[in-house]
Amino acid sequence: MSIGSMIEDLIKSLFKKPVTRQYPFERQPAPERFRGKLHWDPEKCTGCQLCVKDCPANAIELIVIDKVNKRFVMRYHQDRCIYCSQCVVSCRFKCLELSDEEWEQAVTNKKPLEVYYGKEEDIRFLLERAAAQPVESPCE
Amino acid sequence: MTFEQHGENRFIVPIGPQHPALKEPGHFEFVVDGEIVTGASVRLGYVHRGIEKGAEDRTWTQNLYLMERICGICSHIHATAFVQGVEKLAGVEAPPRARAIREIFAELERIHSHMLWLGVAAHEGGFDALFMYSWRDREVVMDMLEMLSGNRVHYSANLIGGVKYDVTPDMMDKIRDGLNYLEERLVHYLDVVNNDETFIGRTRGIGTMTREQAQLLGAVGPTARASNFAYDVRVDAPYAAYTEFPVEMVVAEEGDLHARFVVRILETMESIRVLRRIFDNMPESELVTRVPRRIPAGETISRVEAPRGELFYFISSGGGEKPERVKVRTPSLCNWGTVITLAVGHKLADMPMILAGIDPCFSCNDRLVMVKRNHHDPQLWTWADLRNYGIEYYR
Repeated sequence: MSIGSMIEDLIKSLFKKPVTRQYPFERQPAPERFRGKLHWDPEKCTGCQLCVKDCPANAIELIVIDKVNKRFVMRYHQDRCIYCSQCVVSCRFKCLELSDEEWEQAVTNKKPLEVYYGKEEDIRFLLERAAAQPVESPCE
Repeated sequence: MTFEQHGENRFIVPIGPQHPALKEPGHFEFVVDGEIVTGASVRLGYVHRGIEKGAEDRTWTQNLYLMERICGICSHIHATAFVQGVEKLAGVEAPPRARAIREIFAELERIHSHMLWLGVAAHEGGFDALFMYSWRDREVVMDMLEMLSGNRVHYSANLIGGVKYDVTPDMMDKIRDGLNYLEERLVHYLDVVNNDETFIGRTRGIGTMTREQAQLLGAVGPTARASNFAYDVRVDAPYAAYTEFPVEMVVAEEGDLHARFVVRILETMESIRVLRRIFDNMPESELVTRVPRRIPAGETISRVEAPRGELFYFISSGGGEKPERVKVRTPSLCNWGTVITLAVGHKLADMPMILAGIDPCFSCNDRLVMVKRNHHDPQLWTWADLRNYGIEYYR
């Protein structure tokens, strides 16, 4: 029986440097398998939609512009994504990847969280088509 | 759940649902006579999230991630229980290496959960030095899990039919080093728990539960094993790779809070030993087997040993892409009965420690149970009925 059996730990700690990392002044790299922002490679995609089906958070939309010529645009809702990497596993053509570098994703509005991936002309085509359609008021 | 004393001069101390001593919402009422508690009751349900109903609306794969989010501390074991049930229904078995990796994650998770508990329980007893040091050392195991899966909390390591992440020899070496350090620290903490006079004053002889009481009240996990009730799903009904890499059950006879500390610390050491055995004899095989997207119709149960005790899943499939019913019973729910029974006769100041002694997890155990009289059929509630009930309840 003793009293103050952890006093030795406490005294030892007095002579040690603090372990707190001075983020954001000192940045530690994320682990290799870290699951950050999703990236999509339009070249390999066949438009099978398996990633869309399996996503537990409905964060992925694959918009088909022209299936024969493989013109797809991916709309990625980063605010819904739970970073589980199920889409990466489901993809048979390895066109999805979760970045281990992009993990500082805090933003002040929701706009940047809706990410479009694909060829530039396809994205432009899609956005122009969306802009041309009259916006329905949700209240009516 | 009530255990009330009926008398003239009852004084009730309410605790929660919002209370600085408890981090999660639960409401407790302690009937006191001076400082001594003479009756206790518990009310739960503040964090009911409708997960079981939500499961019926998602595919098998999507449900995997929903189940993982039932608990933040034992996320892997929930996914394992679900996945094993689904694999049983589909008639497939995960490859040996995948099963071993499931066991690795489960045991690492047990180490982190028990160290977290050690800190919380010590903090409730006013021993903040133990709290801070055990949480500092818990970071070591959190870093291992982060290295293995990329994430500290929701590892998402399971897939239906296997696992996502392999454990490379390089990682095994790093984990071995970390485990050596952890074992050394755990020996020290066991020494502190066994020998610190002030701490023993707060734990020995407090909340003593006999073996008969544990059996009667349906206690599970380390809470029951501390009362010499030898029951561990890993030993009694081995799953994953527990047949190849068995664990030894840790039991204690005293049944008090001190015994629960000892059982949990020894269990953590046993986890470290079994992890080393797995790393030395890691089976070679692929990581995933193919499982059809439609799971054949049928019903099954799946049991695993979560850090807090036996976790029970009932899964029913109608043969489609979505489950018909998923029923979850978490270990914390089974242990509440012990808290309100053991509270009687102790001082009010011991209540936080007795509460923390079962390692409660509030948000996991909130399920909806409807018992309503004067209804056409109390067993049968349609979705519209439930929705109306919900709206009327909050009106």
